[in-house]
Amino acid sequence: MSTPYERAHPHHRPLIDHIPDHNDLDVSDEEDAFYALDEGDYLLHPKWRAVITQTTNRVPRRLQRYFVIYFALFVIFCIGWGAYFGPQYAVYKQELRQMEEVPEASFGKNKRPEFGGMVQVKRLEEKWLPRGEGRLVVVGDVHGCIDEFRHLMRKVEFVEGRDHLILAGDIISKGPDSPGVVSYAAHLGASCVRGNHEDKVLLSLAETSTSPDPGPIESPALPAATDALPEESFSRGDFALRKLAKSFKKSQIAWLQSCPVILHVGKIGELHDVVVVHAGLVPDIALEDQDPFQVMNMRTVDLKTRTPSEGREGTPWEKLWNHVQKKKPAHERMTVIYGHDRKRGKNIQKHSMGLDSGCVSGGHLTAMVIEEGGKHHYVQVKCKGYVD
Amino acid sequence: MHSILVLFLFALFAIISARPSEPTIFNPDGTPKSSKRDVSLADLEGLTRNSRDRSGKAGDPPEKYFHESTFDAHYDGRFASTTLRRDERLMHLRSLVRSYLSTMQSIGAETWIMHGSLLGWWWNKRIMPWDSDIDVQVSEPALKYLASYYNMTVHTFKDAEAFGEEEGELIKEERKYLLEINPHYDNPSTDDYMNVIDARWIDTTTGLYIDITALRVNRTAPTHNGRRPSRSPPRTTSEPTRLYCKDMHQYLSNQIFPLRDTTFEGVPAKVPYAYQELLIEEYGGDSLVDTVFKKEYHFFDQGKQEWVPMTTKMVQKLMEEDRDAEAEILKEELSKMARQRGKKPSRKPKNEKDYKLTIDRNTDERT
Repeated sequence: MSTPYERAHPHHRPLIDHIPDHNDLDVSDEEDAFYALDEGDYLLHPKWRAVITQTTNRVPRRLQRYFVIYFALFVIFCIGWGAYFGPQYAVYKQELRQMEEVPEASFGKNKRPEFGGMVQVKRLEEKWLPRGEGRLVVVGDVHGCIDEFRHLMRKVEFVEGRDHLILAGDIISKGPDSPGVVSYAAHLGASCVRGNHEDKVLLSLAETSTSPDPGPIESPALPAATDALPEESFSRGDFALRKLAKSFKKSQIAWLQSCPVILHVGKIGELHDVVVVHAGLVPDIALEDQDPFQVMNMRTVDLKTRTPSEGREGTPWEKLWNHVQKKKPAHERMTVIYGHDRKRGKNIQKHSMGLDSGCVSGGHLTAMVIEEGGKHHYVQVKCKGYVD
Repeated sequence: MHSILVLFLFALFAIISARPSEPTIFNPDGTPKSSKRDVSLADLEGLTRNSRDRSGKAGDPPEKYFHESTFDAHYDGRFASTTLRRDERLMHLRSLVRSYLSTMQSIGAETWIMHGSLLGWWWNKRIMPWDSDIDVQVSEPALKYLASYYNMTVHTFKDAEAFGEEEGELIKEERKYLLEINPHYDNPSTDDYMNVIDARWIDTTTGLYIDITALRVNRTAPTHNGRRPSRSPPRTTSEPTRLYCKDMHQYLSNQIFPLRDTTFEGVPAKVPYAYQELLIEEYGGDSLVDTVFKKEYHFFDQGKQEWVPMTTKMVQKLMEEDRDAEAEILKEELSKMARQRGKKPSRKPKNEKDYKLTIDRNTDERT
């Protein structure tokens, strides 16, 4: 069959036949090949690509998304571990190892420094150990806050003769009425320990009572007697201290002087052996051999040598203390109740109870109430705040 | 107990120069003090057994008041002509510090122990056996007091009396001690570096002495809030005052004061308030925990609570350890050198051996 044109021009090829055959131009966009990339344009061989698409197609879209999220989290974790948690963990491990062993060259091998007018250890009379109704009340740094102190005593329902009060040092100084607090504590028949502020006041009192004689005769070489005291105080930078020291009565000074550096309370049930100090103790050193300055001032311990210090660089002493106590058999364990560290505030751990909750600077005044068998709870009152 | 033989040597003050001196850093007022600038051997007749002056005066600049002996810096050449045997010295030093502390206590001059002596106190309340001197400080008012009433006074002290009989190493006889104040004591400037010692407590029998330095108030340093302290003391702040000695040691008043009462060498003594902080600042933390003092071959015997010399065995062991440590270091260094050589062979052989090796290699190549 032929068209009329063919019939008219039998030797003539239709024009369309002159166009060269370009099959590739004639690809349907409905076929896969239309979307295929040219060979050499892709990273993976099409065979592998097919495998991957096959498998990923089998995994639901949601799971794929989760995988991406988890992978991102994993990366973040790796970075975080390497940059922060890893080193922290290493430090923790190192600290644990150091706490484990007593270093060969450790603090406390010297003969303990002894000072005049200072009692190192006192034992609490056995009749004051909590029994039956009678409780033991330990109060942290009062610092002359008489109103809060009275309030707290009312709140714990302290009964003279039945309960016994122990003040954990820094009873005086900073606050409004130091002599008042001493009188009230003495009236309640309280026991106490010597804090760094009592220490300073008592030392400076001893100093003024034995200060150099102005000389056998009136001499022009010496400044006038009226000028001498402030001048001396100036060279020591201790006006506030001397002023405070002068505000106490003789009996109050005697009461402060009787406060030991360490009050050994004795065994109270689950608390084991209880000790009250102002600042802290170094483990594995007998109470009699503890350095008195540090017992009144320490905050941290250098784990390498177990040397305590006032500074904050180093391990908190109570951390080492608790670690060491945990390792001991129950009958050798010792619980320390202390104050001093206002910055760390109320700090209750298994074998150490820090009670300084910063009353004088507007925090709380805290009492630890110990009942028979060592059961205990804490009572607080809010303070007005007298210093910054 | 201490009968004080007050021998004021007025001769020192009697001869006053008519010629006014020029103001210098050593004498800032330029006021005439005395042409006689020291107490020579002749002035001490009857107090010393020396017939020849062995003080290092001749070699010292004229501004320097105290002279160390020609044979040892720890002796006063006006009283001694030779050093003590090392094993004897400790006994005399202990007696010296007891006499000083007891006397200062009884006349009421505030003094306390510092530096090496404080470290000795910390360990066992005694002088450390290898110590060659004793370090004490006095307060400014105490120095003024001593200078006003006790300069050139002789004090007798009997060791046995003060310390009881149980110690085997006591000085049995009564001894005389001279308290001599440096006339430059009222010059507070640290520029006066020739007279950093404010006073001396001298054992007239052995010539051993204690250097006494006064702890002074720094009136020029700004306080923490940047203001200069005024001459009239502030009455409200309890900020620590900056203190210094002419020997350039500096402290804060709250490190030193209030002082603590304790004992040293068996007699009442005082130590600074924050003794541990001062020791760590000066000698490092290890000085409070190391029970072995290698340098002097002593160790702290905890049973006896005393520094005792090491036995020969211990010294040998210590030396072996040192040798091992040294060998280790040497080995490491050698291997380091070898590694470096391995990395880039140097053209020039460093020593004979290397040179020989190179030649050997060369000959090998040729054959």
